[in-house]
Amino acid sequence: MLLLGLDTSTRRVGVVLANEHGMLGRVELGGTADTAPPRHAETLAPAIAWCCERCGVELAQVSAVAVGIGPGMFTGLRVGVTTAKVLAQSLRVPVIPIPSLDLLAYPLRYARRLVVATIDARRHELYWALYRQVPGGVQRVSEYELGTPDDLVAELEARGEDALVCGDGSLRFADAFVPLGRRVELAGPAHASPSLSALAELASARYEREDFCAPSEVLPMYLRRSDAELAWNREVV
Amino acid sequence: MTMASLTTKGADETAAVGQAVGSQLRAGDLVVLTGDLGAGKTTFAKGLARALGVTQPVTSPTFTIVQEYEGRIPVAHVDVYRLDRIQEVHDLGFEELLEGRVTVVEWGEAIALVLPLERIDVRIGMDGVTDDDDDRRVLEIVASGTAWSARRPGLEAALAAFGDA
Repeated sequence: MLLLGLDTSTRRVGVVLANEHGMLGRVELGGTADTAPPRHAETLAPAIAWCCERCGVELAQVSAVAVGIGPGMFTGLRVGVTTAKVLAQSLRVPVIPIPSLDLLAYPLRYARRLVVATIDARRHELYWALYRQVPGGVQRVSEYELGTPDDLVAELEARGEDALVCGDGSLRFADAFVPLGRRVELAGPAHASPSLSALAELASARYEREDFCAPSEVLPMYLRRSDAELAWNREVV
Repeated sequence: MTMASLTTKGADETAAVGQAVGSQLRAGDLVVLTGDLGAGKTTFAKGLARALGVTQPVTSPTFTIVQEYEGRIPVAHVDVYRLDRIQEVHDLGFEELLEGRVTVVEWGEAIALVLPLERIDVRIGMDGVTDDDDDRRVLEIVASGTAWSARRPGLEAALAAFGDA
């Protein structure tokens, strides 16, 4: 088995290659300190090519494409999910879609606290989901949500339990969590991006169970904001 | 609050005002252009992009919706005229476009609901335009938001050359 994994749900462009024994290699571009415009479209394909070359594998050997489907950056998700679908279609292999918030939570499965995965949704909002430890991993205990930092803080306040908050949403809105005091800890930059090793590990397990889908079935996870028609007064000239 | 109201005599001067505004911009800034068809929104955008070191020809993005240019600061030139729903603005990843770039939006008033409050609004009016004088334009420039209140003097100085109408 050779697995190619992609996650572009944040500014970070992530590519990972893994086989049944574990990870072969990975490429990450666009870290939290990168202030240039996000370049998912320009960097993803070269990053895949470089990662394959350095790991000494050919794309033709790939047996499944795993992809983080968000929620997250619209432009990033479109690039990542489309690339995964097109590669899988042309290689005639299945796709393994995994929510990017799950990839943030999984590396914190050893914490004995509520794990709160967040992704910056822009416009002073974030995507989040809550997780609890279960043997071998984490289990999601909330819906995938979209709201303001205050909405999330109110939710954590109401739950009243110790929590560990990860993801770039928690970095951007770190100040919002201060009123929660010592009950809530922020996981910091090391846990800012959906984990590529989690992507490799979770996708490998799903590949073994043949829990995957056809490229045409894969969609990005967009949590929709309220929609409204634009009030155009287009005059016929 | 209107910061400046200027009258330009032709396209070159409208572009020059665009260039003056452009000279004050930083990555992350948003400029919203409003005015009827033919008012000179793209002309203004050309001048603005020039100030940011864009050397490629700047054209109206009506049919591409978003056009990106490389410059000293990258520029995203957006035209929302063909969009019908607010969701399409979100689908563009509009707020993501703002990161690391200067973003210029034509017909932006229609999406004011979802635009950041920190921005410069430029209204290009054709009031008083007659057949003999059809290149005359009135430009109203408004800078809003707390960051702009600190940066206002620089913008005012850049526009001083054009004089108040």
